[in-house]
Amino acid sequence: MNRYRGTVAASIATYVVLCLLAVVFLIPFYVLLRNAFMTTPEVTATDWHWLPSALNWNNFTALFDNPERPFGRSLVNSLLIAVITAPVSTLLASMAGYALARIHVPGRAVVLSLIVGTLMIPQAVTFLPTFVVVGSMGGVNTMWGLIAPGLFNAFAVVLFRSFYASFPAEIEEAGRLDGLSYLGVYGRIILPNSVTMIASLGALSFIEAWNSFLWPLMIGQDPSSWTVQIALSSFLTSQTVNLPELFAGTAVAILPLVVMFLVAQRHIVQGIAMSGLKS
Amino acid sequence: MSARSALSRRGFLGTSLLFVAGSAVACSSNPQGTAAAKGAKVTLTQWYHQYGEEGTQAAVKRYAEEYTKANPDVAVNVVWGADTSQYETKLNAALLGADAPDIFELGDFRAEMARKGQLEPLDDIYGSAKDGFNQADLDYLTVDGKLYGMKTIDDVMVLYYRKSLLKKAGVTPPTTFAELVDTAKELTTGGVKGLFIGNDGIGDSPYLLAWSQGKDLIDGDKVVYADAAKSIGGLRDLHSDKSVLLGFTTDWYDAGAFTQSAAAMQWCGLWALPTIEKALGDDFGVAPWPAYDKNGRPVARLGGWTQAVNAKSKHKDEAKKYLQWLWIKQTDIQIDWAVKYGFHVPPQTEVAARTPELSKGAAKDAVAIGTKNGVSFPAEWTQAMQAGFIAAAADIAKGAAPEKTLEKAQAKAQSDLDKQMG
Amino acid sequence: MTVTGTRPLDKTRPAPVTATRRRRLTERQSKAFAFVVLTAPMLIGLGVFRYVAIGWSFLLSFSEARRTISLGNWVGFDNYRQLLSDERFRDSLTMIVLFTALIVPVTFAASLGLAVLVNRVKRGRAFFRTAFLLPAAVSYVAAAMIWKMALFSGVPSGLANTLGALFGVDPTPWIQTTSPPLYWIVLVTLRLWLQVGLYMILFIAGLQAIPPHLYEAAALDGAGPWRTFRSVTFPMLRSTSVAILLLMLIAALQAFDEFYAIFSTGASLGSEPVRTPLMHLYGVALQDQDYGVGSAGAFLLTLLIVLVTLLQGRILGFSRAGDKD
Repeated sequence: MNRYRGTVAASIATYVVLCLLAVVFLIPFYVLLRNAFMTTPEVTATDWHWLPSALNWNNFTALFDNPERPFGRSLVNSLLIAVITAPVSTLLASMAGYALARIHVPGRAVVLSLIVGTLMIPQAVTFLPTFVVVGSMGGVNTMWGLIAPGLFNAFAVVLFRSFYASFPAEIEEAGRLDGLSYLGVYGRIILPNSVTMIASLGALSFIEAWNSFLWPLMIGQDPSSWTVQIALSSFLTSQTVNLPELFAGTAVAILPLVVMFLVAQRHIVQGIAMSGLKS
Repeated sequence: MSARSALSRRGFLGTSLLFVAGSAVACSSNPQGTAAAKGAKVTLTQWYHQYGEEGTQAAVKRYAEEYTKANPDVAVNVVWGADTSQYETKLNAALLGADAPDIFELGDFRAEMARKGQLEPLDDIYGSAKDGFNQADLDYLTVDGKLYGMKTIDDVMVLYYRKSLLKKAGVTPPTTFAELVDTAKELTTGGVKGLFIGNDGIGDSPYLLAWSQGKDLIDGDKVVYADAAKSIGGLRDLHSDKSVLLGFTTDWYDAGAFTQSAAAMQWCGLWALPTIEKALGDDFGVAPWPAYDKNGRPVARLGGWTQAVNAKSKHKDEAKKYLQWLWIKQTDIQIDWAVKYGFHVPPQTEVAARTPELSKGAAKDAVAIGTKNGVSFPAEWTQAMQAGFIAAAADIAKGAAPEKTLEKAQAKAQSDLDKQMG
Repeated sequence: MTVTGTRPLDKTRPAPVTATRRRRLTERQSKAFAFVVLTAPMLIGLGVFRYVAIGWSFLLSFSEARRTISLGNWVGFDNYRQLLSDERFRDSLTMIVLFTALIVPVTFAASLGLAVLVNRVKRGRAFFRTAFLLPAAVSYVAAAMIWKMALFSGVPSGLANTLGALFGVDPTPWIQTTSPPLYWIVLVTLRLWLQVGLYMILFIAGLQAIPPHLYEAAALDGAGPWRTFRSVTFPMLRSTSVAILLLMLIAALQAFDEFYAIFSTGASLGSEPVRTPLMHLYGVALQDQDYGVGSAGAFLLTLLIVLVTLLQGRILGFSRAGDKD
């Protein structure tokens, strides 16, 4: 009896705590949306308002009407970059992760440390030489210049490696007995069975591509090759700042990711669950 | 079953990849292929940073098209974007690579760029027009006897004050630093703070303090700002009263804090004057940063934007001719650029004199302050020196000993300067 | 068979030849072949886009390279010496070690705590999971903007100041107040908001892999919730925890974005009350254009990261748990 009452009390307490925390976590989204509908005087006002005085949809329409700031174009660019980067980088990482986990050849440890090593070296400072390398190959202002360096994700290799390390060996052996080569086993058995993992790491890679800033700033010089983050930063100028449009733009820029999360969150959770993070 | 669904899934993935790759190729644009380039023998690339005022981008594109109309052999591809701090990063990266612009804007002119051979000397296109330019600008852009840039606008930064609030508090615009501290304190009531110089409470004030004490940052090949320990030490007094507005939504270069009555006085640029006038009517005035004491002098900061020609450009001559046409000869364009999108001052004194918007009211006062009290950063000043100087000032504002802190930063800046002068 | 086989373009496809040849390949050769094919794209990509740059930066770190990245002006260890004698850079190293020592346990505890709570509820689990994970989609720049301009601004309209006013507290400039260092509240809440969700998901994954019978056994033994957590949950999460710790350590030591976005004033850095090593190096390399010193700093920071992760591995036995064969 006592124990039962204790469980109920504990579970109510859990719900209360979780609900409070969820509210706290969602507050910044609320503030973002509120500001996106405000006018400039309201955003910079010195007293708090729970809601904008009116829903200023023109903050949103102005985003797309302004010929001086190709916001719509930048959304398309970001979408293209993320839609290409996510599957390609995840596939490449899966291939390498599988080989490192399951194909035992001499020199495997060297390859692994070469890949993991890139995680430890801060990227900000090696950006310049990378920029010159990509520039000399004609990558400035091009889609491939924006995309290519982001396709090689060592972090995902590490996660895939631990995921494949815990893969049941029997499936592979059965495939081998059926006459499949190592590559055949990967392509026909392993890959179809890692769809969830690929979806979840693909989602993370999508977010990273969508939110990256410094590289597109340097390589996408022309406004026609701006990404959405660059377009957003163009609101913060040194003369006058259009805050409501900046907030509206930020809300629009977050929206695709939020939708993706809402749709894919079950897969993301399961995928990461399957990785098990054994090592 | 599972094999088939996997296959179809893979098929789907493949198709969508092909589709996306195809549209990516279709979408990747060739920035040189703008309409203006058709029929032109030479296409110049010209970079601007992101101006905040509406209509600026259309304006510079219009200027470029007018040039092509007059000179059909030369097209100009205007590349726009990145705010002041990121613009410099982006430009510097581009200058290292193969896709550098032929002509570009510079916010803070860096003499080091000229000494490292990144800029083309422009003396020949200045010609006799040189004498008509603001002398302070010419001094600023001269490195080892040669001119390496052309000012397109001068920005004057001044102290804006609300007349009505000063009157209510029974004070007048400050003329010494001690008065500034007192006035700010008097003006601080309820939700209104006395003074706004930047969200960090520092802004450009260390420069203004040093200059207002009659001191320099660099004198010849010596960094000397530690001489201004007395005035920069005043930051502490300014902060101890809590009369300085901190952490506003927008920073000092936007008029928001002033027009929203969050601060009774704000350090801001002439560019914001139209916005302020629209919000406050004639309830405001402008003043220079006050002299530190009787031996000092009132000062204002002189900024603005400079255009320069890339020394490695393949079309240097065309680029120089275009600059000469645009920023020396086309006085109507210069006036349009200076006052139609926020207020700036045309660098040619004769052009500035006949700009109607600048010859009345507070704008006129601000221009006069700029002419009389304006000081530019030294051209040898670098971002590292700036960071070290501002950091020292921020420490002093928090209570560090002024002399010792400034001397330490100065020693570091001196070694940077020695390296730069090579 | 797929359609591609019938395409005229696909002449190069040597399907039958490979099949016979592959049978003739020894087991070892075919293994090596598969390994090379699977890892080559990643290695080539990292080679072109990372290692060339890393190698170049390494050489630059021994060159005098202001406003240029061409090599040749060798100066030995001068750049390293210059950085290590720079008090501000040394302070940033000390700061980042302290920051890491503080933020990693806090993030760890917060995400593990959330995971345990979310995992305990039966209804609405998906809602809570999504609510906590959603911030992971927001960029540092956007989040910093919300924090700086709306939640922790210095004017009375900031959310923190509005809440403070309810308790009669005067409006406070959160980011600019250095004594007491209130800016840490801004930085830490921002980082937690952005990161906790992702780590929470990783922990939930680990929790769900724990066999239920262990809990039943603990319950039979009469263990309370705290003892169950200590004797069952936490030990079973060991491998997950070790991996998450590694990710957190690397992320904390390379902290840059939120510091930069919160403190940047649009001009040069300088007035920020704390700076991370990466902020310092960003200023040196990308703002001041001193690539020699900037690169030297990158390798000093790499050294620090390697040392800390090795230390973590030594303490928690990560490196041994890593490779099973």
